[in-house]
Amino acid sequence: MELLVCIKQVPDTSEIKLDPETNNLIRTGLPSIVNPFDMHALEAALVVKDAHSDSHITVISMGPPQAEDALRECLALGADDAVLITDRAFGGADTLATSYTIASAIRHVQTKQGKPFDMIFCGKQAIDGDTAQVGPQIAEELGIPNVTYVCDIKLDTNEAGKPVTVVTREHDLGYEVVQATLPVLVTATLALNEPRVPTLWQSIYAKRYAIEHITVNDMEVDKERLGLGGSPTRVRKVYQPPLRAKVVMMDGSVADMATQVVNMARTVKGGATHE
Amino acid sequence: MKLEEKLGTNKYYVDETCPHIHIDDTGFTMEEKRKLVNCCPAGLYTLQEDGSLAFDFAGCLECGTCRVVAGQTIVKEWKYPRNTKGVEFRQG
Amino acid sequence: MGIDTRERFDVIVVGGGPAGAAAAYRLAQAGVKVLLLERGQYSGAKNMMGGRIYTHSLEALIPDFRERAPLERQVMKERISIAENGHMTTVEYVQSEVPQNEESYVVLRSKFDKWLAQEAEKQGALLICNVQVTELLVHQSSVNAKPQVIGVRCDDDEVYADLVIVAEGANTLLLEQAGLCAAPDPHALAVGVKETYKLAKSALEDRCGLMPDQGMAWLTLGDLTAGLMGGGFVYTNKDSVSVGLVVGLDKIGSVETTVEDMLLKFQAYPAVAQLLKGAQLKEHSAHLVPEGGYHSMPRLGGPGYVVVGDAARMCMNLGYTIRGMDLAIGSGMLAADAYLAAMGEGDSSKTASHYRHMVHHSWLGKDLELYRHFPSFLGGTDRIFQVYPQFVNDIMKDVFTINDAGATPIMGKLLHRVEQVGMKELMIDALKGVRAL
Repeated sequence: MELLVCIKQVPDTSEIKLDPETNNLIRTGLPSIVNPFDMHALEAALVVKDAHSDSHITVISMGPPQAEDALRECLALGADDAVLITDRAFGGADTLATSYTIASAIRHVQTKQGKPFDMIFCGKQAIDGDTAQVGPQIAEELGIPNVTYVCDIKLDTNEAGKPVTVVTREHDLGYEVVQATLPVLVTATLALNEPRVPTLWQSIYAKRYAIEHITVNDMEVDKERLGLGGSPTRVRKVYQPPLRAKVVMMDGSVADMATQVVNMARTVKGGATHE
Repeated sequence: MKLEEKLGTNKYYVDETCPHIHIDDTGFTMEEKRKLVNCCPAGLYTLQEDGSLAFDFAGCLECGTCRVVAGQTIVKEWKYPRNTKGVEFRQG
Repeated sequence: MGIDTRERFDVIVVGGGPAGAAAAYRLAQAGVKVLLLERGQYSGAKNMMGGRIYTHSLEALIPDFRERAPLERQVMKERISIAENGHMTTVEYVQSEVPQNEESYVVLRSKFDKWLAQEAEKQGALLICNVQVTELLVHQSSVNAKPQVIGVRCDDDEVYADLVIVAEGANTLLLEQAGLCAAPDPHALAVGVKETYKLAKSALEDRCGLMPDQGMAWLTLGDLTAGLMGGGFVYTNKDSVSVGLVVGLDKIGSVETTVEDMLLKFQAYPAVAQLLKGAQLKEHSAHLVPEGGYHSMPRLGGPGYVVVGDAARMCMNLGYTIRGMDLAIGSGMLAADAYLAAMGEGDSSKTASHYRHMVHHSWLGKDLELYRHFPSFLGGTDRIFQVYPQFVNDIMKDVFTINDAGATPIMGKLLHRVEQVGMKELMIDALKGVRAL
């Protein structure tokens, strides 16, 4: 099986601080991590490879050259190859331009390796933008089925003897089991699996691996659909809503604190506040 | 500031699937338990009302102090968290 | 390009702290194929110390470190305090200039260790982070043969080398598991806990009375450790202050106080509290400290392996100053030199004996040996932590107290205080202390 995992390098949002003056996010100096959902997407691909040893995993990302670090992390976990889509022309892309760019790069890689990908794995969303759009849009662009919010994946064959995936989706109201033919794109939730940890030899491999860069000139693309120019949406402002409530840390025994909570709840309910 | 709040300033990658320290205080004296309560710089060993010792691995600073004082007694197994897991000092 | 799990290295270094990185740096510089393994996400991610490095050995390794290393502040001010029940007697010494190779700097390990490991990488060492060594691979050819370390295991993966340099730090899991050192001795180990507080540069300099970019090292002993061996420390970083303490572990169960209580007590002393006023906590960290000195050192090497840095208990606490990193870097360099010397003779198996010889005949071994009695003096003289802090502060109180009860000669006051402590005990401890130094 040819497996592809799409990952994004994101700022570690657990480290985000706010500028107390402007209330803006301070993004400088934030450590970068692989988008946590993407780690579950990679693990899903690794599980397929564990079961089908002739499988081959490629990891792809779009971003600045520093995103190589994120790809290396994936190689250390067991991916076979890594590709970085990187060009100034891709800068400022919204989710539509991003999905178009990644889909074009996927076509480029498929042509180059002479084989289409059977399964494409994405995280359900990135923790920095939280749009959950890029995965499904890549599938749309490639014209393949996609199943989002996946919490379980099984491989099977259908009545015609063709390979299919049986996928469980997570819903607000329950679970939905979907069967899809290959090729397919799935987007992973945290419940899908528990990502493994890196191993020595795979880490050595990752360290030495020369990551291929795909630039705008490598692909057949409509340049109008790339980057800022190809993006119909704009982020006008990113800000934190002003804090409305004060955090109160409680002290004392469990019983004391329970009483405090009850008293607070009463005060809130009555609408009266005491300083 | 309470110690738990202080630990909140640290960066952890908690390994929910796999505690790296195992204890068993059955049959040990209060002084032996007291050692652990006193020595743990993260305050992860706490004496319960019934005199037993409770332990929470999640805030572990991986110093190994509990292994030094009770590695032959209450601390039955002491390993570092798995690769990429555990505390990450950003100051040190 | 694939994975070849049969690939061998000349040397594997276990642990990317200063000892391991220094060894890897020196080996890679000489063209040796070296694998440097670090369990943290980066070197320093799992490391902590109070704050000071004496840079003479770093300078020997990287002469232009001043331009390149992430140094917080050069220590120009030394403070020693004796604290008891809210009273504090402090001695302060300020240097106007420090000769090169006698300098010391405050560093933060997450930055410094990361830098040093990257320097080793630039020299050609293969640095692998996020991978923990879980076992030293030991081969025993016959029942009577000495066990030989032939490589390491990292979970399911094995890798082999001619030499393994064990730089695993004070928590010697691997050496113990391989039977190469004894189980940890609570007499020889202490726990260090530290908090780093964010403080604006100007506020920090004003509060400590420091010139721009200059730093302070401040050690305190007294009742904060509840009578146990240990003491508090304060080190100034660029725009933060590190405040913590070290406590010996051998009698830790005999007191009713936790390490955290001790730290709070230290931080409540007015001089410390004022320094930290309004400062925001950035991190609460801890680490084992090998305090046992020379007599607690394990065998420094054998077939296929050598031990460096904290793993070899190369640390010196003299009460007024604490050394560890300079010894770590020095020992790493000697391990590398020993391997290179052995290879020069065409026999890598001579590394351990060269290394042991080099350590004992260098400044490193000599310094450790010179102060070999000091740890047992500190550990065996409870009065230092239980009686003398009050004694010193009482004398200060006598000297500086004026009231309407009529003055008594200072000598009389002093003798009164000496009698309280016991002239004989005082003389014995003073002599023991002088001899240990």
